[in-house]
Amino acid sequence: MNFLTALAIATMFALGLFQLMRRNTIRSATGLVLLSNAVNMFLFTTGAYDGVAAAYYQAQGPVSDPLPQALVLTAIVISAGGFAFVLSLLYIIAERYKTSNSDEVEGLRN
Amino acid sequence: MDWLILPPLLIPFAGVFTTLLLRKRRRLQAWLSFVFIVTALAFSLFLAQRVIFEGHTFVLQSGQWPVPAGITLVADPLGVFMLVMTQLVLTAGILYATGSTEKVVQYPTFYPLFLGLATGLSGAFLTGDLFNLFVFAEVIVITGATLTGIADDKYGVEAAYKYFLISTVAAVLFLLGVGSLYASYGTLNLAQLGELIQTGELRPLALAGMAFLTATFLTKSAVFPFHFWQPDFHAAAPTAVSAMLSSVVVKLGVYGFLRMTSLLFVNEADTLRLLLVILGVVGVIYGGFGAAGTHNTKRMLAYSTLSQIGFILVGIGWGTPFSIAAALVFTFNHSLIKAAMLMLAGAIASRAPVKSASFEVVLGVGKNSPAAGILFLLGGMALAGIPPTNGFISKLGIFWSGVEAEQYLPLAVIGVASILTLFYVISAFMKIWFEKNPNVKPKQGDLLLAPALLVLLCLALGIWGDPLVVAANNITASLADSSNYISVVKEASAALLQIPQ
Repeated sequence: MNFLTALAIATMFALGLFQLMRRNTIRSATGLVLLSNAVNMFLFTTGAYDGVAAAYYQAQGPVSDPLPQALVLTAIVISAGGFAFVLSLLYIIAERYKTSNSDEVEGLRN
Repeated sequence: MDWLILPPLLIPFAGVFTTLLLRKRRRLQAWLSFVFIVTALAFSLFLAQRVIFEGHTFVLQSGQWPVPAGITLVADPLGVFMLVMTQLVLTAGILYATGSTEKVVQYPTFYPLFLGLATGLSGAFLTGDLFNLFVFAEVIVITGATLTGIADDKYGVEAAYKYFLISTVAAVLFLLGVGSLYASYGTLNLAQLGELIQTGELRPLALAGMAFLTATFLTKSAVFPFHFWQPDFHAAAPTAVSAMLSSVVVKLGVYGFLRMTSLLFVNEADTLRLLLVILGVVGVIYGGFGAAGTHNTKRMLAYSTLSQIGFILVGIGWGTPFSIAAALVFTFNHSLIKAAMLMLAGAIASRAPVKSASFEVVLGVGKNSPAAGILFLLGGMALAGIPPTNGFISKLGIFWSGVEAEQYLPLAVIGVASILTLFYVISAFMKIWFEKNPNVKPKQGDLLLAPALLVLLCLALGIWGDPLVVAANNITASLADSSNYISVVKEASAALLQIPQ
């Protein structure tokens, strides 16, 4: 199970990294989402192995570590906000440059 | 007196929302933002007096939760030093924005975002928790990118996109580092992590965490192999914002490295220091040549930041008490100088026929503003390290500490590269103030009050640099021994109700 989880996260991370480096801006934005979510999953798993019971105040037996869950919640919110921001930037770029190829968005290069 | 940590953080934060509510009344909004940031600065200066000069360390566990569940806020000498530097420059930035002719300052969200940047920076320097540092770093990124995206420069959006993509990758690396350290040690509190890493065995993922954090901070500071976004981004941002980005925002990485070498990875610090010296030297050369070869005043200053960050990293990398103190003085002085220079470049661009800082456009524009010329010359002297400015003290400190540490090879290289600074500053000055250009017509531009104040401060610190040097020495002493930091946090946490197991 541990191995499968690790493999799934690694695959997601690799796919995200690959997509991020594509020339198409939409694809690279998708890669960004995959990458952030892969890392969120990684963060989530760091607290998963103490126990499986929910961490209530008077829970019986070994409880799961609640701190990574809190961290992941924050990270999800931040990455969701960031994704919305990237999409809005891409909207303006698509309007101004009439392209979704990041090689053609090169006004700063001169 | 532990509550003293809160005002420098909460006042800008409250300012974000207050100024957002006043978006219909622009003048009031602008001046109220100024009042907010000045109040925050006053509190940080008071905090600096108590922490840096009187040797207290304040700790606040938010919500009365003990470590590691609660977020720790720590006011230690290093953090407070960076805090004062940041808020000083941000005050000048808001002052510049109030007298700016750019359209961007008319945006209803400009001042709220600016205060958001102030909140992010203040929080990042005051927090004692790695994950909280990540959150504040994200606040800085999103406000900085938005402020650049709304710039008058038509390439602002492109620059913001570039920066945001890079920063998100840096954030992913930061989270990987956070996750690695949490998986290894079960805490993210800096003091507790530092204690566990120093005294306990080295757990498997600890070094991976160190590598991820290093890559993150290198990106935040735009050090050589991670620098490519920086000149574009800093040149396209609105003047008031680019002055902040190129002076204080890049110092987040410097702060991160100081924390990593002095608190988190003390036993492995030598490896990190070697890396910093190598990258710093490469950065000094690369930034110097980049600045000398560019065709835009703002871009030149952005490249110059690459080279100046290189000096700071070399100082941290040598690792002797003297060189760290010199690096701290350099950090403070560079923030003031670079902010002033970028504001002057922007002020000149605002007086040019077309609004641009490219050398073709600003050629001879200096005729419109001789006063800016004097300030630019003084600021340039400070950047190149000529007495009686504060730049002289910082460069002298770095070189002297290099001689003392017997690091002659890096010293020789950065010594030669620092002559480049003189070359590009003088050449920019000659182009703007001594060339003749028939197209230049008298035109009003941005107010010169804010850069004038910063240049005056540079001169004052050059003539009477004692407080800064004493502060740097006190901070270095506190960094040399992390046990005080660790024990203060521990005591503050022990006084609280513990979590039932």
